[in-house]
Amino acid sequence: MAKSRRSRRTLTLVVLVVISLSIVSLDLNGRTHSITSGVKSVTNSVFSPLRGAVVDLLSPIGSFFAGAIHYGAVQSENEKLAAALAKLKIAQAEKGFQATQLRDLLALEHLPFLNALKTVTAQTTQVNTSNFTMTITVNKGRSDGIQVNMPVVGAGGLVGQVIQAFHHSSVVELITDGQSKVGVTFANGVIALADGQGPSASMSADLVPPHTPGLKKGAIMYTSGENGATLPAGIPVAKVKSFHASAGASQETIALTPEADMSQLAYVDIVIWAPAPSPGS
Amino acid sequence: MTARYALRWLLVAFVVLMVQSTVMLSVRIGGVHPDLLWLLPITAALLDGPETGALVGFWSGLAFDLTLPTPFGLSALVGCVLGFSMGMATAAVDKRAVWLKPVAALFGSVVADMLFAVLGAVLGQQQMVQINFLSLFLVVALSSVVLVLPVNRFMRWALLPGGGDRRSLVSAQSPDGGLW
Repeated sequence: MAKSRRSRRTLTLVVLVVISLSIVSLDLNGRTHSITSGVKSVTNSVFSPLRGAVVDLLSPIGSFFAGAIHYGAVQSENEKLAAALAKLKIAQAEKGFQATQLRDLLALEHLPFLNALKTVTAQTTQVNTSNFTMTITVNKGRSDGIQVNMPVVGAGGLVGQVIQAFHHSSVVELITDGQSKVGVTFANGVIALADGQGPSASMSADLVPPHTPGLKKGAIMYTSGENGATLPAGIPVAKVKSFHASAGASQETIALTPEADMSQLAYVDIVIWAPAPSPGS
Repeated sequence: MTARYALRWLLVAFVVLMVQSTVMLSVRIGGVHPDLLWLLPITAALLDGPETGALVGFWSGLAFDLTLPTPFGLSALVGCVLGFSMGMATAAVDKRAVWLKPVAALFGSVVADMLFAVLGAVLGQQQMVQINFLSLFLVVALSSVVLVLPVNRFMRWALLPGGGDRRSLVSAQSPDGGLW
């Protein structure tokens, strides 16, 4: 009897593990990912309003404990002002990007600048739903024209890219997430790949060859917008914090600080932009 | 399992998921928030053994996976392994011991987070091991120790209604019992 119970327990575990692994492989396989993302999308459509209602119910209690009667209104106004300031910061930073020469050059290559692109302003509803990823959830989704891979800007620069688009909400992977890779360039046109390093270490990039002329502390890196890039050109991404190349090294390692203030993401702009189809596709 | 007990368990899972995605996400210490998910299989395993722990871990993990950006199914995988292991590890322990629940919550949540990160990295999500594990373990372990008692209360209500009137997600008599 005890033996049969033990066998049944083991069988239960084995079956559950096999089912779990099958679901994970369905999700990670490009061809079947749409099944799991569809299930997530439907659940999100049902769960988000319920969650919103609970948040609405609880937020006055939170505000009460914060000790300010108009806390919510002031906070909301502050966040809107921070978003407006961030937009101005982007515009200002863009001017410093050897604007005239580069714009002319990019115009010849039909590459878009952020100023010419349509954006959708979205409010952040959740930050880092998992302790293992750096994401935000925003209140705009497919019904507002949002698609996967669209760039998200705010708080002074590039914030991230849409990785999941539901009907009325989207999940944005932040540029500091370990999975994030952004093609960047700086003043003299040198191109590099800026990697997210997780919450503790912001971003880094490697330049080949080392000792690149013009590289200095504080220099701003912009999205490169190279052919086939998933982001438009000229969005401020990060500032050079430090750089070093060991003697005889074939590359220079750069530590970067995101240009966007990643603690001010209450409102962000999603850029309605899709990469140009590659020739022959 | 009758529909009544299944509904009770679903209600508990839903409430915990709702609390996690509202209250817990706003409680951040060093950028880390408490994680209630692992407490469901841990308490279920302590109350009703490894098989129930595995089943509760699987279904609650799957429910949480629907709201997380991590690979779909990963929480279910870790949840069922955690529930089963916790049930097996505490099989010979007196369940009335005062220290059992906090200690199980502390070790269980840390081991689950570690397993979650490592499996995520193995599945190509390298960012899952690029986090500050010390602050993660501290926040998740300590919050689990504090929150295990209320979650255990809910789980007891779902799995063992009427105090000593022991019912289970898994029937001891029926070989095909449980949630299948």
